[in-house]
Amino acid sequence: MTSQTLQKVDHSALKTNQLFIIFFSLVAFILNQPFLAALVALVMGIGAVLKTPGFGIIYKSILKPRGWMKPDVLDDNPEPHRFSQVVGFAFLTAGSIALFLGSSVLGWTLVWIVIALASLNAFGGFCVGCMVYYWLSRLNVPGFGKLPPEGIFPGMKPKVEARA
Amino acid sequence: MTAEILLRFAYALGIILLGLVAYWLLTQRLLSRAKNNLNSLLSPLPNKPVIIYFTTPDCVPCKTVQRPALNKLITLLGEKLHVVEIDAAERPDLAKTWGVMSVPTTFLLNAKGEARYVNNGVARAEKLMEQIQTL
Repeated sequence: MTSQTLQKVDHSALKTNQLFIIFFSLVAFILNQPFLAALVALVMGIGAVLKTPGFGIIYKSILKPRGWMKPDVLDDNPEPHRFSQVVGFAFLTAGSIALFLGSSVLGWTLVWIVIALASLNAFGGFCVGCMVYYWLSRLNVPGFGKLPPEGIFPGMKPKVEARA
Repeated sequence: MTAEILLRFAYALGIILLGLVAYWLLTQRLLSRAKNNLNSLLSPLPNKPVIIYFTTPDCVPCKTVQRPALNKLITLLGEKLHVVEIDAAERPDLAKTWGVMSVPTTFLLNAKGEARYVNNGVARAEKLMEQIQTL
């Protein structure tokens, strides 16, 4: 594995994003509100464009300043997490479109896939979208240039805190 | 309306429960696999708690966190603990047999050789100590 420059990535912002995605997607399912699923997709889409976790603003403006969530800054690549958000956005958008077109089973299945993958990331520390990114990188697909941090299985959360 | 919401809430709970059961089954499978593989690794059994520690030479968290944590435990427990270190890069067959997906991975087994815990990723000394105390 070649050495590469890692950046400081605050995983608390990522986790906040995942928890809000899970929460709002679950509420959308329970209340049968495709609009809410579409809204979550929109926030993720905006986040993808701005290269930041969609719901990360809540972490930065409320949770972190008030000390309700502590920063968890790790040496990591931000690109796979951005890609992961784009994948989530695509699934939720497709799900929302399916729901608006009346295909409930397909729509909610896609929403549940996002919930499952976000849960795996938030509670299990495994980012499936990141793993896909690293696979594509290994296959030399253009635009996917980063390698996983040394000693870390592609997609697993790095365990070493970044040095200040 | 309320009935529909309750029904969908029940569906959501059911799906979450299924996910948790699937995760539990996966962990159990890993632990049962570990038990089956122990005899080929340690014979005879040391008759004390065992930590099987999978690492690789280029694993930075192994060097900076996991190894010091294990050293701390060895210092604290001395002869009461047996640690087996396996280089997953050198022994990919063992890593595959034990179902190791990432390094570091630690398996904790009791004195009877029964696998009780598996930690995927870094497990700090305090966590390992807590696990050892419940073996």
